[in-house]
Amino acid sequence: MPHTSSAPRLGDLERTLMEQLWDSAAHRPDGASVREVLEALPAERGLAYTTVMTVLDRLSKKGLVTRERDGRAWRYTPAGTRESLTAETMRATLDDASDRRATLLHFLDGATPEELDDLRAALSEVEQRRG
Amino acid sequence: MLALLLVLLAAVLAGVAPRLMARLVSFRRAPRAALVAWQAVSLAAVLAALSAAPAALSYLTELQTGRWVVLGLAAAVTLLVLGRLLLSGHRIGTRLRAARTRHRELVDVLATPEPVTQGERRADGIRVLDHATPTAYCLPGRRSRVVLTQGALAALPSDQLDAVLAHERAHLRGRHDLLIEYFTVLHHSVPGPVRSPEALREVRLLVEALADRAAVRASSPLATARALMALAQGQAPLATLGAGGDGTTAARMRLLAADPMPPVVVAGMYAYAGAVLVLPLALLWLAWR
Ligand SMILES: [Zn+2]
Repeated sequence: MPHTSSAPRLGDLERTLMEQLWDSAAHRPDGASVREVLEALPAERGLAYTTVMTVLDRLSKKGLVTRERDGRAWRYTPAGTRESLTAETMRATLDDASDRRATLLHFLDGATPEELDDLRAALSEVEQRRG
Repeated sequence: MLALLLVLLAAVLAGVAPRLMARLVSFRRAPRAALVAWQAVSLAAVLAALSAAPAALSYLTELQTGRWVVLGLAAAVTLLVLGRLLLSGHRIGTRLRAARTRHRELVDVLATPEPVTQGERRADGIRVLDHATPTAYCLPGRRSRVVLTQGALAALPSDQLDAVLAHERAHLRGRHDLLIEYFTVLHHSVPGPVRSPEALREVRLLVEALADRAAVRASSPLATARALMALAQGQAPLATLGAGGDGTTAARMRLLAADPMPPVVVAGMYAYAGAVLVLPLALLWLAWR
């Protein structure tokens, strides 16, 4: 993916369309077509049909939405609820599984309840010497 | 004989030196120099192992049984280390990049890019995940991201937030991910009997200590320590399933209270790094002289 000025805008569009799909999932359990997604978006966004189609296609390649044929068109459904995908993201950041520690760089590399007392003692050392 | 010496040197640098170096905890007060020393030792170990076969090749001119044994052994060590390096480098690299891509794709649709006020300026490009558990991290790589949760924004006053953001930026700017990836690959490349977990653990801690220094420069030692405390308290209920428990966080906190290393000691650490790196090259040179 080349670094172009349109790259961040594409990311914004992906998020907007995902939010649209999540919001409409309640009353459209069978998913939404490109047309339906486009019509639900505020008109001032002025998005073209093909743009919406391209972005939905990208989202399905990433496995964030699933699609199913409906006649000549596709119907798009989020691959998970916002909550379940957030939970997956948080699990990846908090679990000690496999390569978590090399995948992301944290501010805090985890702390157990047993460690908190030791941390409090260390904090009061900092307070005394640097406070 | 020099080929055997190189094999021995590789084993000492990979298996013995890390155990000794990990005990010198006061050197953590100079994390940058300590990281250079760790890199020098690990690189010297790799160089020694890879030089064993080339050093033994000079034996080919005089063919005797004993020398064939040495040549065979040296070649086996070199090929084994080279093979394991390439294999785990490929495996770990592929896995890390796939995990990061998946994570970035999730973050990009789930987290809102929120301008967060950092000091006087607005810090753009920070993603905020709608979750109550306070956490802060960055996704390294070409399309890097700094991610905070709503819980972290709620738990951190502005000076502590400055510390956290400066810490994450230091990780990204310094490409600390490459350093950790390198040591993870090395860790898995070293044959089991000589492998020491100390190197990887210590390098992780030093990388954190280095980023903490950036946090201190952006705020203060106290704000950085309090931010660590705040996130530790917020995450502790969940940590039973996850990371932590190895005392890393308390060690970082105590480094925030410690005085800086005297410059003469830091100079000595760099000299040590240089000397260690010269060792395998000197032996190889002697073998071919
Ligand atoms: Zn960190």
